[in-house]
Amino acid sequence: MKNFKLPRLTGGFLLGLMLPTGAVQAADAEAIIQTKCMACHTQEKAEPLQMSRMSHQRKTPEGWLMTIARMQVMHGLEVTDDERRTLVKYFADKQGLAPEETEGSRYAMERRLNTMESFESTNFEQMCARCHSGARVQLQRRPASEWKHLVNFHLGQWPSLEYQAQARDRDWIGLAFNEMVPELASNFPLQSTSWDNWQKVDKIPASGRWSFSAHMASKGDIRGVMTVTGGKGDQYKVSIDGEYADGSALQGSGTAIVYTGYEWRANLTVDGVKMRQVFALSDDGSELTGRMFEALHDEAGMDFSAVRNGSAPTLLSVQPEYIRAGSTEVLTLVGTGLGEEISLGEGLSVVNEVYRDENKVVLQVTANTTATPGSRVVSAGKAGGASLNVYNKVDRVKVVPDFAVARVGGNGGSTPKYNAYFQAEAWMNGADGQPDTADDMRIGYLPAKWHVEAFNEQAEADRDVHFTGKMNAKTGVFTTAAAGPNPERRMSTNNAGNLKVIAEVMDGDKALNAEGQMIVTVQRWNNPPLP
Amino acid sequence: MLPRSMTIMLTTLTLGLTTLTSGLAVAAKGPALKPGNEYMVVANYPNQMQVLDLQTDTLYKTCDMPDRFGPGALQVAPDKKTAYILNNGYEDIYGVNMDTCEVTFHAKMAQTPKERTKTLYAFALSYDGKELYAVQNPTLMERDHYVVQPTRLAVYNTDAGLDAKPVRMLPSPRLVTAMQTGKDGGLYMAGADIYKMDVHTGEYEVAVPSRNWQRERYVQPDVLNVWAVQTPTKDFTILYTTARYQKGSEDLNTADWIYGYFNINLETGATETKDFGPLTEIYFTGTRSPKDPNIMYGVLNRLAKYDIEKQTLIKAAELEHSYYCVTLNQSGSKVYLAGTNNHVAVFDADSLEHLKTIELPGGDMSTTTAQIFVR
Repeated sequence: MKNFKLPRLTGGFLLGLMLPTGAVQAADAEAIIQTKCMACHTQEKAEPLQMSRMSHQRKTPEGWLMTIARMQVMHGLEVTDDERRTLVKYFADKQGLAPEETEGSRYAMERRLNTMESFESTNFEQMCARCHSGARVQLQRRPASEWKHLVNFHLGQWPSLEYQAQARDRDWIGLAFNEMVPELASNFPLQSTSWDNWQKVDKIPASGRWSFSAHMASKGDIRGVMTVTGGKGDQYKVSIDGEYADGSALQGSGTAIVYTGYEWRANLTVDGVKMRQVFALSDDGSELTGRMFEALHDEAGMDFSAVRNGSAPTLLSVQPEYIRAGSTEVLTLVGTGLGEEISLGEGLSVVNEVYRDENKVVLQVTANTTATPGSRVVSAGKAGGASLNVYNKVDRVKVVPDFAVARVGGNGGSTPKYNAYFQAEAWMNGADGQPDTADDMRIGYLPAKWHVEAFNEQAEADRDVHFTGKMNAKTGVFTTAAAGPNPERRMSTNNAGNLKVIAEVMDGDKALNAEGQMIVTVQRWNNPPLP
Repeated sequence: MLPRSMTIMLTTLTLGLTTLTSGLAVAAKGPALKPGNEYMVVANYPNQMQVLDLQTDTLYKTCDMPDRFGPGALQVAPDKKTAYILNNGYEDIYGVNMDTCEVTFHAKMAQTPKERTKTLYAFALSYDGKELYAVQNPTLMERDHYVVQPTRLAVYNTDAGLDAKPVRMLPSPRLVTAMQTGKDGGLYMAGADIYKMDVHTGEYEVAVPSRNWQRERYVQPDVLNVWAVQTPTKDFTILYTTARYQKGSEDLNTADWIYGYFNINLETGATETKDFGPLTEIYFTGTRSPKDPNIMYGVLNRLAKYDIEKQTLIKAAELEHSYYCVTLNQSGSKVYLAGTNNHVAVFDADSLEHLKTIELPGGDMSTTTAQIFVR
C-alpha cells in the first residue's frame, strides 16, 4: 500500500521532490483536491473551484510544498509524490507571489542559511522570527482571517511556545491576535496590485542558450553556457557547460520547472554532485539570477546570473573583477552580444585578445602604474553592465561572512555536516585614507591563507580549535567535526565551539590580516525548505 | 519490503508478544515500600517510574507506565503511597500506587474528542490529597483549522478511578507551570506572577508578583520553572534572574545581574522574594537546604551552593553532564541530581563531594521531577 514517507524532511534535499514528472493540468490538480482534501476542507464554490483555507493564501513553491507535506505528515493526507508535485505546481501558479513580492526574502528560497536577518518591527522579529526565518513569513500572503488561523495553528501545534524566552515575558496570545494579525494582514495581504498585474503578464518560456557568470567561495569565478530545451508544462531539460577560473571544467545536466511564470527550480548532476538551482526569471525573460547549490550540502553554492543569447547585448561580469595598477593580467568578459570594441577606461589597455566567442572574450590587459584607483565601467561594443576595480594597494581585508554558523554532522546521524565557506574581501580606503567611509572602494575577493584560533579563554580552555573541525588553509572551507557527544571533551559535550577565522592576504610583500567569527554548533534538526 | 500478508502476520505476532509481556508485568510489580524509609521517585524512557531507596542509594523498583512517556513530571501524594505522573505527551495524568505499581487514577486532560489538551507541568495535589488540580491548555481541532481555547483549572477527585472527570472547571491564567497547594487550601500557581487561587470559586490574586513586581532599579525578572519540587520544609521555591541598575542609571551594561528566589511556605503562607547571588551561570532548579535555610543549591552545568545572606557562591562541583533537577534528602545531608540521561548523581551536601551515580534501567529522564519522601 502506498503510504507517504518523508525520509529526509531536510532543506535543499526536499526540494528535489518538487519537480513533476509529467505536464500538470489545473483539472488534474482540482480532481486531486476534490478527492483527497474534502475530508477536512470545505468546497466554498464549484466554478472556479474555491476551497476553505487553501484558496485564501498565496505562497512560493517551497511554501506550498511545506504546507502539503505538513498535511501528509501531521493530518493523514495520502497523496502520491506525483500528486503532490501536481498540487504544488497548481497552487504556485494560481496563488503564488509576484516577483517584487519576493524581493528581499529570496535568500530563504536560495538556502542562504547564514543570512543574518534584521527587521524594523521588533514585534515581528520577536513574535515570528524568533523560531524561524522572518523570510518564511514574508513569503506568504493572507487576509487577516488566515493570519488569525495561523496564530491558532502555531499555539495549538506548539503549546509550549508562549512559555519560551521572549514569549513568557509578555501577553503573547494577546499580542499575537491583536497586534501581529493586523500587522501581517497589512504588510502581507492576500490581495495586491503586484499580483493582479503579474497574473496579466504573458509568461515567457525559458528555453534557449544562456551565458552565465557565477562566483563560489572556495572556487572563485565561474562562467559558461546553460542550454535549456523543452517547455511543455513549464518543464525543461537543462545542461551546463562551463569552466572555473583555473580552467577546469564544470559540466552537468538535469531537469527544471518554472513556477508562477518566473520561479526557476532545477535539479542537476554537476560533475557527479547533485545540485539545485533556485533562480528568478526577469520580467522581460532575458535574465536568470539566483543561487546554485549542492543538494546535500546547501552551504556549498554559487551566486549565479545568466543572460539569454539573443537578448540585448549585456556584459554580466569581468573576471576577475579587479586589476592592480602596474600589472598585466588575463581578464575574461562574460555576457552576450559582446562587441569588438573594448572599453576599459582610464589607464587600462588591451594588449592582446586571446579568445572570443558569443559569450566571452578573453583579454590580456595592462593597467598602467599611474592608473587612478577606482571602479571602471567596462563595455564590449554595445554590451555593458559590469565594472572592473583598479587598485594600487590593499588597505584592508574583511572576512566574508564576518560571522558564520557551522554545524557538526554525520557520524551515523541523520543530518550531514554544515560546513562554512569564507572569502577574503580586499578594500581600498579611498581618497580620505579612512576606513569605513563613503569613498571606500571594494576591490574584490583575493586569495588568502586561512586558519582558525580560539575565540576567547573559554574556547581555549575547551580546546575548540582541536575538536570542532579543520580549516583548509588554501580554500577557506571549514569542515566541521563529527556529530554526537564526545567523551574526550569536558562534560562529553558535542564538537561545538567558538572560533576566530583569520585570513592572511599578501599585497606584494605586505601581509594583511582579517578576522571573522565562527560558531560551530549542533545540527539543525528542523530543516524545512524555507528555514 | 515485506509482502502485505507477512506484515499482518508480524503485527499479529507483535500483538501476541505485547499481551504476553503485560501478563508477565503483573508479576513484576516489585516490593512494597517500607514505612519510615526514605525514597526518591523519578520517571524515564522508555516509560517507567523508578523508585530509589535512599538508605542505600540504590534502585528499589521499576514500575512500567501506560501509554507513552513525556514529560514524566511527578507529584507525590501526602499519604506517600501514590505518585502522580504527567505523561502521554503532556496529555494525561496517572496516579500510581508505588507499592504495587498499579495505576489507580487516570485523567485525560482533553474533555471532548475535538480537543487536544496539554498540561505544561501545571498540576498539584490538595494538601489532604483528596483533590488533584491541573491547568489545561485546550485547542479545538476543527476540521480545517485550530482554535486555541482559554486555559482552565480542572479539579479531580483523586478517588475517581481510571476514567476521572473534572468535578469543577474554572478559568485559569495562562502560562502557569509549577503549582503547589498551601495548608489553607489555596493553590499557588507560578505563571506571569505567582497567583493564589481559591479552588472552589476560581478567584485568584497575586501572591508573589513576578512579571509585575515593583522593585526599585530592578528590571522584570525572567522565570522558568517546570519542576515543582516538594520539600520536607514545605517550601515552594522558584528561581528568578534579573538585573538591578546602578543608582541613578538605566544602563543594562553597568547593571548587576542577579539570581534570586521566590518562596512560599505552604504551611504558613509566608512569601519571600530574595536575591541570593550574582548571575554567572544558569540553573534549571534551585532548592534550599532543609537543615540550613540560608543555603541555596542550584544545578544545570554545575552543582552550586550559595550563602543567601552573603549573596556569595560558597562552592561549585563540576558534573559529568548537565542535570536539570536538584533535591535534598530530608535530613539535608545529601544532594540528588536528576534529569538528563539515566543517571541520578549523589553529592555530599556540605562538601559537594561526588558520592555516587545511580544508573537507572532505561533511558533519558527528560524533564522529570525528582521527588524525595519518607513513606
